[in-house]
Amino acid sequence: MRRANCRLIPISCMTEPAAAAPPIPLAPPPSLVQLFWGMLQVALSAFGGGLSAWSQRIVVEQRRWMTNEQFLTGLTVARLFPGPNQINMAVYIGADFHGLAGALVALAGMLLLPFTLLMAVGLAYFQFHGIPSVDRVLAGVVAAAAGMALSMGFKILDQYWSDRVALLLAAGVFLALTVLHVRLIPVVLVAGPLAMAWYWPRHPASP
Amino acid sequence: MRRRPSANPPLSDLGTLLQVLWQFLSLSLFSLGGGNTLLAEYHHLAVAQFCWLSNAQFADLYALAEAAPGPSSMLVGLLGLGASWREGPLWALLTAYGAEAAILLPSTLLMVAACLSWKRLEHSPWRVAFERGMGPITLGILFAVGLKILRTADTNAPGVVVSLVVCVLMLRTRLSPLWFMAVAGVLGGLGVINR
Repeated sequence: MRRANCRLIPISCMTEPAAAAPPIPLAPPPSLVQLFWGMLQVALSAFGGGLSAWSQRIVVEQRRWMTNEQFLTGLTVARLFPGPNQINMAVYIGADFHGLAGALVALAGMLLLPFTLLMAVGLAYFQFHGIPSVDRVLAGVVAAAAGMALSMGFKILDQYWSDRVALLLAAGVFLALTVLHVRLIPVVLVAGPLAMAWYWPRHPASP
Repeated sequence: MRRRPSANPPLSDLGTLLQVLWQFLSLSLFSLGGGNTLLAEYHHLAVAQFCWLSNAQFADLYALAEAAPGPSSMLVGLLGLGASWREGPLWALLTAYGAEAAILLPSTLLMVAACLSWKRLEHSPWRVAFERGMGPITLGILFAVGLKILRTADTNAPGVVVSLVVCVLMLRTRLSPLWFMAVAGVLGGLGVINR
């Protein structure tokens, strides 16, 4: 509740003068129960995919818990820190209103339905995967899923194309993991500090 | 509910269960770039180290987690399910929820701390260096993960061609991946793709 005031004040001052649209006032901060239902709604709406677009639509546009700027800040933090992005986003929204309790409630709302559903699918899988026709279909699905996994690296390759050091680091990490069979944790613990030292901002003013 | 004993230590053994939870807890903070960077580690844990699953089963579960709605890190729940499946479905579900909680707890706590202190972190040089430095590392890991999953899938030549085509389509189109899986599933059912 303490946060209620500080959330409402910045609206007028945060809105840039250029923004012609009159600022829509934020709704009062959600209670824990409202948080849970809101995240459940996000999870339900996203059953066809597009989780992060749905959470923006529901949290910012429908329920007006956050301004778009606050939401985008949350997205930045969610992407920066370890953990699945969409789950981190739910944690951020929950924590912003109710600290740790809010984070756990938002997480539960986000995961409850999809996780329960997936576990039902999993139980069915372990029961029936021995059936030859099921296994044949799965072999095809697995081939598609492998293609999806393969695309993940290419998806972010573009932004590093002009940075020789970044490519060298990536190649080193790749070789350590695939050729030398080093486990992930030691690789990150060695390469991480090296990379951070190289990219340490030398000119505080530079972007 | 007990099935026949096997060579692997059963997860009903509290020590083994705690060991499993510890492995997931300690991996949590290394899930850079949205969580998929841990896939090869999951494979190592589930197939090589603890022998909960065969290669093919791991590939199946990965595909199921990708096809299902919701965050793909729910794969960890499926691994938990596989880890103690032979102890009966109830214990398997318990392990599944435990494993998922273990993989999410540390990163969630860090995220809460980050949310509450973001004002101070935002312009810190640590944040800038972390953000820029972790990008290339994530890049290297994701390529290693892609290769690992491709090897784990271990399909015949038409299957590999489908994987490569799907990879290109993922990059060039905005089609839902569910379409690729559906078409590939049909190809598998017809016997074009097998392993």
